[in-house]
Amino acid sequence: MRLLTLSAICLALSSAFLLYALNNETRLLEGQVQQQDRAAATLRSDIAVLKAERAHLARPERIAPLARDMGLVPPGPAQLADADAAGGYATLAAPLRGASH
Amino acid sequence: MRRGVTISTEARTRAGQRLPSRAGRLADAIHRTTFVTATVVFAFGMVAVQLVRLAATGAPAVQSNMSSPIATSLARPDIVDRNGRLLASDVEAPSLYADPLLISDRDEVVEKLRAVLPDLDSAALRDALADKTRRFVWVRRGLSPQMAQRVHDLGLPGLAFRNELRRAYPGGRLAGHVLGGVNIDNRAIAGIERHLDESNLVEPIVHAAPSTRRPVVLSLDLGVQHALEDELAAAMETYRASATAGLVLDVRTGEVLASAALPGVDPAIATDALVDERIDRINGGTFELGSIFKLMTVAEALDAGRVGPGTMVDVTEPLKSGRFVIEDPHPAGRPLTVSEVFLKSSNVGAARLALGGGPTRQRAFLDSLGLLAPMRTEAAALARPMLPARWEEIETITIAYGHGLAVAPLQFAAAAAALVNGGEYIQPTFLKRTGEAPRRRVIRAETSAELRELMARNVAEGGGTGKRADAEGYAVGGKTGTAEIATRGKYDRNAVISSFLGAFPISDPRFLTLVMVFEPARTAASGGEVTASQTAAPVTARLVRRIAPQLGVWPAPIQP
Repeated sequence: MRLLTLSAICLALSSAFLLYALNNETRLLEGQVQQQDRAAATLRSDIAVLKAERAHLARPERIAPLARDMGLVPPGPAQLADADAAGGYATLAAPLRGASH
Repeated sequence: MRRGVTISTEARTRAGQRLPSRAGRLADAIHRTTFVTATVVFAFGMVAVQLVRLAATGAPAVQSNMSSPIATSLARPDIVDRNGRLLASDVEAPSLYADPLLISDRDEVVEKLRAVLPDLDSAALRDALADKTRRFVWVRRGLSPQMAQRVHDLGLPGLAFRNELRRAYPGGRLAGHVLGGVNIDNRAIAGIERHLDESNLVEPIVHAAPSTRRPVVLSLDLGVQHALEDELAAAMETYRASATAGLVLDVRTGEVLASAALPGVDPAIATDALVDERIDRINGGTFELGSIFKLMTVAEALDAGRVGPGTMVDVTEPLKSGRFVIEDPHPAGRPLTVSEVFLKSSNVGAARLALGGGPTRQRAFLDSLGLLAPMRTEAAALARPMLPARWEEIETITIAYGHGLAVAPLQFAAAAAALVNGGEYIQPTFLKRTGEAPRRRVIRAETSAELRELMARNVAEGGGTGKRADAEGYAVGGKTGTAEIATRGKYDRNAVISSFLGAFPISDPRFLTLVMVFEPARTAASGGEVTASQTAAPVTARLVRRIAPQLGVWPAPIQP
């Protein structure tokens, strides 16, 4: 009987320590998760701002005048030619394409 | 120990008690031991049960009811164009609030804040801060980080910041009407933003946390949208017009690639849309569109098989109906073929073609093209078509050349797309399509081909009203329309809506354009005219030159 009582006491104590350790570990992990959640939220927010800033900088209203100042215009018919009509150019272009491999 | 036992036995003997037997003492010991053991086993059993329960279910979360959270704002998904370019996004921004109880000198606080925020309503803020029963007063929501830092640097007690989500539109006014906008609480007011609310794509939030949903992909192409708005703005200035509007539609899918009405709205300024002049004329207004409606009239006559392109129509005399006389601005003085009626934009010819089918047939045809019923897209419920109270002979005549029936331009464009795409009606959409668009046949493919031929000739031939829409290298076809605006029950010859309906490449169209110039002035640029051939048509030519390469339509090279 005494053995049983001592065993039960040991079991209870070890369970209590185990439970405490688990509880402590869980709290630590919860803290880490919350920290990472906060970091992720901050990063998401930063990414949203960066995306908005990039979109603002890349808006056509800003890019179009810059492109025009650089002499860039939409392609016109004068800039294009039929491949058949430009036989010499087509012959020249073929080996160049092959050499790029 | 032994002496102690003896004394105890003696004492009990003196008291006259009967000593228990050895067996009895043993039995008592067993009972006591059993009781203690049972108690200990029960206690440890309870501990074991609790351990198992905790292990199986976990500890219940501690709930605090000190400040029960309620959703105060909405997290909205990003909106991107068809190529993934950002049009709208939520960003965190600090909002400034005050606790009146903690503010001892409100005049000082208001004055110092005014130095940083000059447009602050100081009287209203002073009144709000005077109410010490309140613990929370918004001072300014959605500050920039720099502005928030300047307020912070004032070091005023009783002021604090709270991060909120604010809707950012990086493109500024670009596609403002389509996007709509949100109010201070991030709730939609109009446009695609409202579609997000109605489709439950927004999430109620307590803390500022951007939405994790996938972006909503629109059918718009940002580059095409910019080109359209740029050309419309230039047209407004060149022709001193009161307003301009236009759209680009993919006739094979019904996707709206660009839609704009100027003066435009800034989606970040909620009150912009309340100004009458800034109405979305593509979706939110109905207009008598004038001669571009003749496309419908000719389509009906050809598709019914009553006439062919070469059938002669008598336009030598004005047409009389009751007290009304219909005549052409530039009478031909001879009968015209159906093709010539279209190319010369003859009102009398169009009226005679419509009368050939009669009011019932005209109405049924326009109804099949979706022009008579209310229409809705993701961006808005379109303004309802304005139908005549009676639909008899005179109404049939006027509707034949685009008066007496007012429709929203997008509704008209969707109908016109069906006429040029081979004869299938496709519901227009502002969202990028992921599968095959539902379609229904409204005219024969042969009729559609004949109409394309007429539209091509109208631009390519010197005598066509749309020759100024010719964009070198691109095969553009189209129809002009100059509709007088009715004011106080009378049509004003000088106040017109000049429109050009175009399609390219016209042999097998992929894209449809509609350009509208409202009340153009007689300027040198338009040759002193207000007609569509001098205003809307050249705008279309410039527009096509800019957007065609973006849409993968390359110009035909100049032959050496």
